[in-house]
This record gives sequence, C-alpha cells and structure tokens, in this order.
Amino acid sequence: MLAKLMKYEIKGTARIFIPLYLLLLLFALLNRIINPFSLLENSDNFNLQVLFSIISVTVYFILIIGTFVMTLIIMIQRFYKNLLGDEGYLMFTLPVKSWQHIVSKLIISMLWTILSFITAICSILILVNVDNLSEVLSLFISKFTDIFGTAGFFTLPYYALIALISNILMIYGAIALGHTFSKHKLMASFGMYCILYVIYQVVMLLFILLFGKKNITSIVTSAAPSVLQINTLILELSIPLIIILVANFILTNTILRKKLNLE
Amino acid sequence: MSNILTCRNVTKVFGSKVAVNDVTLDIPRGKIVGLLGPNASGKSTFIKLCNDLLTPTSGEILIDGNRPGIETKKIVSYLPERNYLNDWMKVSDIIGLFRDFYSDFNEEKAYDMLKKLNINPKDKLKTMSKGTKEKVQLILVMSREAQLYMLDEPIGGVDPAARDYILDTILSNYNENATIIISTHLISDIEKILDEVVFIKEGKIVLTKTVDEIREETGKSVDSLFREVFKC
Repeated sequence: MLAKLMKYEIKGTARIFIPLYLLLLLFALLNRIINPFSLLENSDNFNLQVLFSIISVTVYFILIIGTFVMTLIIMIQRFYKNLLGDEGYLMFTLPVKSWQHIVSKLIISMLWTILSFITAICSILILVNVDNLSEVLSLFISKFTDIFGTAGFFTLPYYALIALISNILMIYGAIALGHTFSKHKLMASFGMYCILYVIYQVVMLLFILLFGKKNITSIVTSAAPSVLQINTLILELSIPLIIILVANFILTNTILRKKLNLE
Repeated sequence: MSNILTCRNVTKVFGSKVAVNDVTLDIPRGKIVGLLGPNASGKSTFIKLCNDLLTPTSGEILIDGNRPGIETKKIVSYLPERNYLNDWMKVSDIIGLFRDFYSDFNEEKAYDMLKKLNINPKDKLKTMSKGTKEKVQLILVMSREAQLYMLDEPIGGVDPAARDYILDTILSNYNENATIIISTHLISDIEKILDEVVFIKEGKIVLTKTVDEIREETGKSVDSLFREVFKC
C-alpha cells in the first residue's frame, strides 16, 4: 500500500517538477550558448543583444530560486490540500494507515528536494564552462578529506538526510497542529511552526549544554581539530535531530488518527 | 445474520456543540436505509464517524464487528457530500486509483456507467461541471462491490433526469446482502426505494421504522411524516 501511495504522490507532483527542471536546464544551456556574462562585461553601449542577455540571465536566476521555493510550496501544499483539504475525504477512506500517508509524502518530498539540488548543480555546471572539472573535483575531495576524513562521506550526508527529514516532519507537525484550530488554519499552522522551531532550538541548545559541551570546546579551542573529533560531533548533533524527528512524527500521526476534522 | 452496522451510545462533541447525541442504532444487512433529517441535524457527522474521518467523543461503532479502521474501509463505500477528486486527474486516472486501492472495485462496471452517462474517461476533472463531477464520484462509489454503502446527499446537485438514472444505478448495482445508507432531505425522490428510515434531529435519533410500518401505522408517506416530525 505504501508503494501505491508513493506512486500517486509521484504522479501528483512530477507534472510540476519535471517541466520546471527541464526549463531550468534549458535556460542554463541557453545562457551558456549566448554567454551573456562576457557580453555584459565587454559591451559599452546598450543594444538589443545586451537587453536580451539581461533578460536571459534574470530568468535563469528566477528559475533557480523558483525551483527551491516550488519544492517547499509543493511540500506544504501536498500535505495541506491532499490530506487535510477536500481530497482528504478520499485519502482517509482508502484502506491505508495514517502513518503510511505521512511516510509516502515524506519520502517523495525528500526525493524532490534532493533532485532539486542535483538539477541546480547540473544547471550551474552547464552554465559555467568548467574545462578541468575532474581537477576541480579532485581538489575539492582532497580538501574535504583533510577536514572530515573519508568518514565524512558518510557522516555528512547522513546528517543532511536526518536534518532534511526532521525539517519536513516539523512542517507536517505544524500543519497538523494548525488543522486542529477551527478557524484560520493556515495562519495557525504558521504560528505552530514558529513554536515548534523554538522548541527545536531549545532541545538543540540543551543537548549541547548537557552532552556536547566538552567536544565543542575542544574543537573550538584547538587549532586543527582531528577528523575523529569532527565526525564524533556530527554524529552527536544528529541525536537531538532524531529526537525532534520522532516527536514530530508521533505528533502528526496522532493528530491524523485521533483529531482529524476535515471541513 | 448479524447487523452490518451497530452503534452504541455514540456521541460527538465539537467544543460546546453536541453534533451527535447518544445514538444507538442497529442496521441490518440487505436493506436500503434513509438517514433523514433537516440541515445540520448531524447526518454528515454521523456518516463521517462511521468512516473514521472523525473519532467519537464516547460510545462505540462497529461495522461488520470492527471499529472504523482499515478493515472497515475495505468493505464500506463512502460518498461524501463534497467533491474529493483531484482536479488534475483524468477520469481514467481516478478509476486506476480506485482499482489500485480497493480490491472490490469493478472497473468494467465503472466504464459501462460512464458510457451510459456520456462521460468521456479521457476528460480531465478540471474541465467538468459540478454536476458531472458528482456523477463521476457516484459511479466510482457504486462500482465497488462493497458490503455497506454510505451515500451522503448523493442526488443534491444533479438534474432530475440524471437523478432517476442514479437511483436506478443504486438499485441495480447493489447485491442482496449489501446495505445502503442514504442521507438526504430530498425525501420524495428516494422514498420509493427505501426499506427503512431513520429520522435524526439535533443529533438524536427520533424515529426508526420500516417504510411499511409507517404506511400501516400512520397511513402517511415518509415525506409527509417527515414534514410533521420536523415541523418548524
């Protein structure tokens, strides 16, 4: 059932993201071909070509920002509209558990967030003419391993993933809480997000004060913290995120199960 | 045979408002039951409670022996009083969704009914009128071979000609062991198909009788009895 829910979640979102990604890549390519940056630098007088360059660059930047804004909006809209709006009448009468609704939406939101990043990076690579891509890449990797070690290739993506899940579930939790209000549900959701965010900050701070203090002090004071110290800190800092993540999941699921009140 | 739907002292309170008040009710299998009451009498709330869209404040609902949940959703076909279809989908997409999630969905039946009502399965729901969407929704719900159908205001928004077709559809599609609960205030239109009626007023059940009993005991039609009971 989870796989089927995800299939329909992809169907419902791909029709927006795929054209957006294609458009972004297309404009990156267009900008690469007409090369407006050098044109803008070298041209003294204003002409049609310059105007066209300005437009093309502007559109590209709007698209790249728009991709991330869209990722966030669709994330919110799919949860709010598909589950708690009129469409919820269908979704919640399917023979499916409420946690499966949350997990299917979560996984597909993560998928699009990651794809948005990958597409944005690809578009930059298309736009900027990197002749020595492999050289730049190996330089980056060697700098990276100097600080984080090989373990960093696991700890950092792990932390990023936990942070992403935690943030998405916080948004879901806020929307679910906002839904329990009888009026101004969207406004209430926004307010609830602020409250959840403050709680998150407090938990993070408490955790650092109680458990992480020693490790952080030693990293800050030492001139060159060891790879082990840094990776330990990353793993430690993921613990409060996991606590927040689990709490928000339970909160959202409980509201959907017990406090559901579709308009 | 046991009852398909059993309610014991079901109450639902919203803040200070009691929407459903201590309802105790048994609905047998194989009947068409009218859930009749004026606007805001708790009809929709009651049906939502049976479909796990709301949790009762107190009391218990059992459908085929189970509390509302996954098991009951497999055997209950619910038509809400609003449009729940995704606008961007085609009719054929939503049929695919029903086929994917409900094992009792009869796809052939759905396409057959669409054809009779001249609805093109390739049309997007966005382009359809409100009445057409209602028809699509009813077709989806009646194409399931469910044990209990709960239809909340199924004929409110469609024209009288389609209304007749829909009532025929309801009658011809339900098997002998299935029960249909229809909530409405358009009684005269559906009176001829009802076996039993439940009158609900301000969240309370005020009368439960078979249509034959009403005719024998009072000599009145359900419609005129309704007007009498709910006289303003």
